[in-house]
Amino acid sequence: MSEYINLLIGIAMGLNLLALGSSRLPTLIMAVALQGMALGLMPLLMETEADWRLVLVALATVAGKGLLIPTLLRKAMRAAHIDREVEPFIGFVPSLLLGAGGTIAAVALARSLPLLPEHSGSLLVPGSLASVFTGFVLLIGRAKAISQVCGYLILENGIYLFGLLLIHYTPLMVEAGILLDVTVGVFIIGIIVDRIQRAFDSLDTRKLTALRE
Amino acid sequence: MPGLFLLVAATGLGASIAFGPRCARLWLGLTLVGTAAALTAALGVLTGTPEWTWRSGFLVGGEALYFRLDGLSAWFLVLVSVVGGLGAVYSREYWSDAHNPASAPRGRAWWSALVLSMGLVLLCSNGLHFLIAWEIFALAAYFLITLDRAQRAVRTAGWVYLAASHAGTVCLFAFFGLLAAHTGGWELGPLRDPGELKPLFWLALAGFGVKAGLFPLHIWLPSAHANAPSHVSAIMSGVAIKMGIYGIIRFSGWLPVPATAGWVVMGLGAVSAVLGIAFALAQNDLKRLLAYCSVENIGIILVGLGAALLGRAQGNAAWGRLALAGALLHVWNHGAFKSLLFFGAGSVVQATGTREMSRLGGLWRALPWTTALFALGVLAVCGLPPLNGFVSEWLVYLGLFDAATQRAASVWAALPAAILLAMAGAMALAGFAKAAAVVFLGAPRTQAAERAQECGGLMRSPMLVLAGGCVILGLAPMLFWPTLARAVGSWNPNWTAGAAPAPLTALSAAQIAVALLAGGAGVWLWRKVRGNGLRRALTWDCGYAGPTARMQYTSASFAGIVTGWFGWLLQPERQLRRPRGPLPAAASEFVRVPETVLERVLGPVGTCVMRVSETALRLQQGRLQAYILYVLAGLIAMGMLVLLGGQP
Repeated sequence: MSEYINLLIGIAMGLNLLALGSSRLPTLIMAVALQGMALGLMPLLMETEADWRLVLVALATVAGKGLLIPTLLRKAMRAAHIDREVEPFIGFVPSLLLGAGGTIAAVALARSLPLLPEHSGSLLVPGSLASVFTGFVLLIGRAKAISQVCGYLILENGIYLFGLLLIHYTPLMVEAGILLDVTVGVFIIGIIVDRIQRAFDSLDTRKLTALRE
Repeated sequence: MPGLFLLVAATGLGASIAFGPRCARLWLGLTLVGTAAALTAALGVLTGTPEWTWRSGFLVGGEALYFRLDGLSAWFLVLVSVVGGLGAVYSREYWSDAHNPASAPRGRAWWSALVLSMGLVLLCSNGLHFLIAWEIFALAAYFLITLDRAQRAVRTAGWVYLAASHAGTVCLFAFFGLLAAHTGGWELGPLRDPGELKPLFWLALAGFGVKAGLFPLHIWLPSAHANAPSHVSAIMSGVAIKMGIYGIIRFSGWLPVPATAGWVVMGLGAVSAVLGIAFALAQNDLKRLLAYCSVENIGIILVGLGAALLGRAQGNAAWGRLALAGALLHVWNHGAFKSLLFFGAGSVVQATGTREMSRLGGLWRALPWTTALFALGVLAVCGLPPLNGFVSEWLVYLGLFDAATQRAASVWAALPAAILLAMAGAMALAGFAKAAAVVFLGAPRTQAAERAQECGGLMRSPMLVLAGGCVILGLAPMLFWPTLARAVGSWNPNWTAGAAPAPLTALSAAQIAVALLAGGAGVWLWRKVRGNGLRRALTWDCGYAGPTARMQYTSASFAGIVTGWFGWLLQPERQLRRPRGPLPAAASEFVRVPETVLERVLGPVGTCVMRVSETALRLQQGRLQAYILYVLAGLIAMGMLVLLGGQP
């Protein structure tokens, strides 16, 4: 089982780099969607006996992160007539380098953390740290609101991965609740993006600095 | 019995706050009743009624009310009530509704609030309530200083006062908080044993020192006293800064003090005396000069207190008692003559509309009463016999001389302090000779000075009362010895007993003799002048064919030599346009003495702080991305801290 999990996490880490390096919004949204689906399958692989509730939550995660949220984002993008360019603060090559450096640092850091023996061989911790870092780089380095939402989702995926360490101890209801929160959050952001576009004719967060006092 | 009078006083003053804005006469009546009742209570305690304490079950801020009127607080309460009542009378004419329709009503209410809150500061025996009263007192004083807030200078002075006052209050919060933490309760009282409370004295000294106007902490004092209305300047200078002195004396009496406290207090006092009077000499603004002179007098009081602390530390030596008696008596004396001088300055300001001494001159003709009373105040403030200033300074000197003849380390404090005090006294004489001569003698320098008119009875009578107080305190100090001994005794119980010291008895006779001699000489001179016939001529003729009043010495030129000695400290700013050529056109010289501590020390420090803050403000960009970066940086930094610090 463990090699399948590590494979999925490896795919997720690769998708991190894709998200960092893509210059077009649809690609970015697709990367986020794929990552969400890959991670949504993980509880099924980790639990030996498949409880029906576990299956339900896993399916809901895959559907929510892989289908519902990307659809909402694409809809918001289309409704607000956003250019498909990403408009980075931090260029794509530096972003990629940062992401790669962050991944290496995450692996190194995970080695020095006092983990349980059953987790020490898996990629769970480095993958989660790398995703969180990637999420931060996207949040800091991108100007458009939609790409920041994608950064936030990747960050959340990282936290979800870390939470999987505790899958035996966390009630699934908590996981389901988090999923619901994220979905509703993205739903609301989709509406707000539309409103910002109508009010200011732009979605560039660089221009939203007038209220800083 | 004092309790009843204090109740009347509190009721009267409280009602006068309520009625003050609407009904001026009722306000005056209530204020006078309140202050008279407070005066009666205080005098009762000073003349033999046992110390009054009152504990109530009523809670304010979770603490039970606890009031105490002992010898020391009664001593200061006398000053508060006398100047509070007289200033109220004075303000009815000086700051009347007719002249200041907007500010006079609120001025009356704040006046009563100030007097009431100062009384509460003296009575409260609970740290929390003391702080509350102290804060009301500071705010009431702020609103009184800024009564005339249309003027920019007044607003600036008010802000500087408020900022300095709160800086001091921060120290007091720390002081009372730590005290309460150590003793386990907010109630105050004599406390001798625990030695770990000793360092708290420095906090009290700093906190109360700001209010008292010690030399480096005096920054708020000159501009606040100069820009406030004169009756407010009088109570601020005569009474409010004494609340700082009260705090220092009170808590050095109740709490154990560090071994070096006496030395430090005496040193600060000597420095304040000399530098305060040096700044006073250099001023061209009459009220600013008086304000700096208050710094000098606070210095004299602190030298006396420092000697008392040294004396107590060296086995309750008798000379410490003399010095403390001198310091306490000087509190009264300075309250009396400085209020008198500020009332006189107020009369000059009202008559001429300016405080600038170089625009005045020759006022003795137009303002005979003001001139005579101001001159009496000047004699008193210079410490000349037979007036009251001499008595208290003499007591302080006696204490210092006796300390200097002992074979102990205190010689090295007492001797320099005595020399510096003598120096300050001489400079005070020079400074007040300048003030009196430039303002009242000579010829009027401007039209305004020529057209001046004497003040009315409501302003004159408070001045007469204060002048009478100066004369009585000067001629018959023996009368006040029992009360003084009681105040001293409540500071240090070991110094309670004992008859009046011999020098004081001798001094009374000498003072009366000097007064009689001076009076006789005055009468003889007057007769001789009358006999020879009066011839009126210009004062400053100098052999010119067409002399003008502007040829007289200005205040800056009068004090030029002495301010030259202190040029390193005063750093006068000079703008000189020399006369050029055989037929020179306009020429001018302009000299201004800056507020050295405020402008040369605090100003640059403040600018530096502002620059650093502005640099830090650049971090606040309004960009979400930047803020997320800060969060990430903070997270990483904390992670590093845990990783590096967590591993042994």
